Amino acid sequence: MIKHLFKLIWNKKKENFLLISEILISFLVIFAVFSSITYNYLNYREPAGFKYDDVWMADLGSPVQGENKDSVMLVFANLKNALKGMPKVRDVSLSSNNVPFSSSMMGSGVEYGHVNIQSDMYRVDKDFAKVLQMKMQSGRWFNETDRNPVYLPVVLNAAAAMALTGSANAVGKLVKMEHQTLRVIGVADNLKDKSDFKTTSPGIYTLIDTSSIRGINTMLIKVSANADARFEDQMYRLIAGTTRAHNLQVAHLSEMRTKKNKEIIVPMVILLIISGFLIFNVALGLFGVLWYNISKRRSEIGLRRALGATAAGVSGQLLGEALVLATFSLIIGSFFAVQFPLLHVYDLPAGVYMIALLLSVLFIYLLVIVCALYPGKQAAAIHPAVALHED
Amino acid sequence: MIQLNNIEKVYRTDTIETQALNNISLHVQKGEFLSIMGPSGCGKSTLLNLMGLLDVPSKGDILIDQQVTQNMADTKMARFRNSRIGFIFQSYHLINDLQVLDNVELPLLYRKSTAKERRELATEALVKVGLGNRIKHFPTQLSGGQRQRVAIARAIVGRPQIILADEPTGNLDSAMGDEIMNILLDLNKTDGTTIVMVTHDANMAERTHRLVRLFDGSQVQ
Repeated sequence: MIKHLFKLIWNKKKENFLLISEILISFLVIFAVFSSITYNYLNYREPAGFKYDDVWMADLGSPVQGENKDSVMLVFANLKNALKGMPKVRDVSLSSNNVPFSSSMMGSGVEYGHVNIQSDMYRVDKDFAKVLQMKMQSGRWFNETDRNPVYLPVVLNAAAAMALTGSANAVGKLVKMEHQTLRVIGVADNLKDKSDFKTTSPGIYTLIDTSSIRGINTMLIKVSANADARFEDQMYRLIAGTTRAHNLQVAHLSEMRTKKNKEIIVPMVILLIISGFLIFNVALGLFGVLWYNISKRRSEIGLRRALGATAAGVSGQLLGEALVLATFSLIIGSFFAVQFPLLHVYDLPAGVYMIALLLSVLFIYLLVIVCALYPGKQAAAIHPAVALHED
Repeated sequence: MIQLNNIEKVYRTDTIETQALNNISLHVQKGEFLSIMGPSGCGKSTLLNLMGLLDVPSKGDILIDQQVTQNMADTKMARFRNSRIGFIFQSYHLINDLQVLDNVELPLLYRKSTAKERRELATEALVKVGLGNRIKHFPTQLSGGQRQRVAIARAIVGRPQIILADEPTGNLDSAMGDEIMNILLDLNKTDGTTIVMVTHDANMAERTHRLVRLFDGSQVQ
């Protein structure tokens, strides 16, 4: 029977061309939507790698002024001590301004042997991992012993370690960055620090020292859960007074995260609404065409009943024809869809495209089944004696 | 083979009630070639539809091969039609989007059979009606007589014991009509197929074993 249906549809390919095209376009749109949803969902499922609750960011706006680098270091050291002395402050860390969920980015090429990768670069101090409750995969985070070493110490995130050294342990390896040789002292978990829906890029952490202190104007402060607006105001005045910052801004990482997530969610919702309208149109088109087919093919349906088809069989045939039509579209659509992982379009993992392909195929079949159910029921209700007499 | 006992058929709408058949009792013997004649609207096709289990009587019983067909479930009735009855229609009712061979294979699709068996049986049936060289043609590429021969091949492909023909020569000229009639007579004679044929043509009816005349839904001969 399936071969018969394929033959029937194939012989009517001209009449079915528009419908096949319509299903094909819907499939491609749905494939794009599902690829996007799958990609974002898989990213969302990845662990954050750090804790952002009760972490505040203080952006000084401009670098701290001082007679020399040592005095700037001293200002920050005093500020950190003063902040840590506040009752609701747990930890304080200095950082370059590309803190989690900020819009700032800083990157550099990192080289190991013949491998050269582009990596995010973070300048941090020894308290950064504690403030964000980061976990180490191997090696250690920065500590006091890292002052004046032979090679400057760096910590890689897992993505950078994998990209540079593969499955080999990266700890102890010497890497090159900006013409400097650096020793990897640890590998930290990936930090999903751009958004819950964004994948982690390779990242390298370097320790803030006197030479790099001039560019530092951001702090991360871990506070207790009961830190309120009044406390925030006290803290604000302390930082502003100590650094004489005019454009000081304090933000909560959890709020910054929500804002960053919205940048992904809002376009996704818009895309879903647009594709929802498209799918609704396709569903109406399918429904209309199938219904029209039944009224056009009443005598054929009557004939099939006379030759031995049951009412359920006729209904099933209509459904089968719709599924065969969809299959023609899906075969063509899948050919285009598999080009995405093969040609590395948008550079998403192949698994994302495969999941999206599977979901899109299931969705189209489901849509076709829903649209064919009622016309199929109508066809089953056709009385063979009446239908055969009409022609 | 086919037994109709006190058959009545009434078509009802909200406002009108039409008596299509009135107290028809008829017994068609196995291997008999029966023709039914009567003016248009006298109930010939309705009677044929009832015999073919395409419709149900308002009153009375229909027995086919001694089996009561009343209250038969849709699935059982469909299987019954498929295995025992072949249909030939005035307007052929071929599916224009399918080749001749596929049209003839249609009844076999509704029973257990392999593609090879279907192809062999359909080809055999087409050879029998003289269309062995037209299997890849589409119905629109054939003449009226050829189309009706395809319809006959479709009717006999499942080797039914009964063929119900509703004005099979009605759309054909006399030469083509004769050709079709000869095929039906041959089927009746050589295979022993029971045939019930509705016709307007007295000459055709004369060539059958028995003639039944209907008038206003009642049997008059």
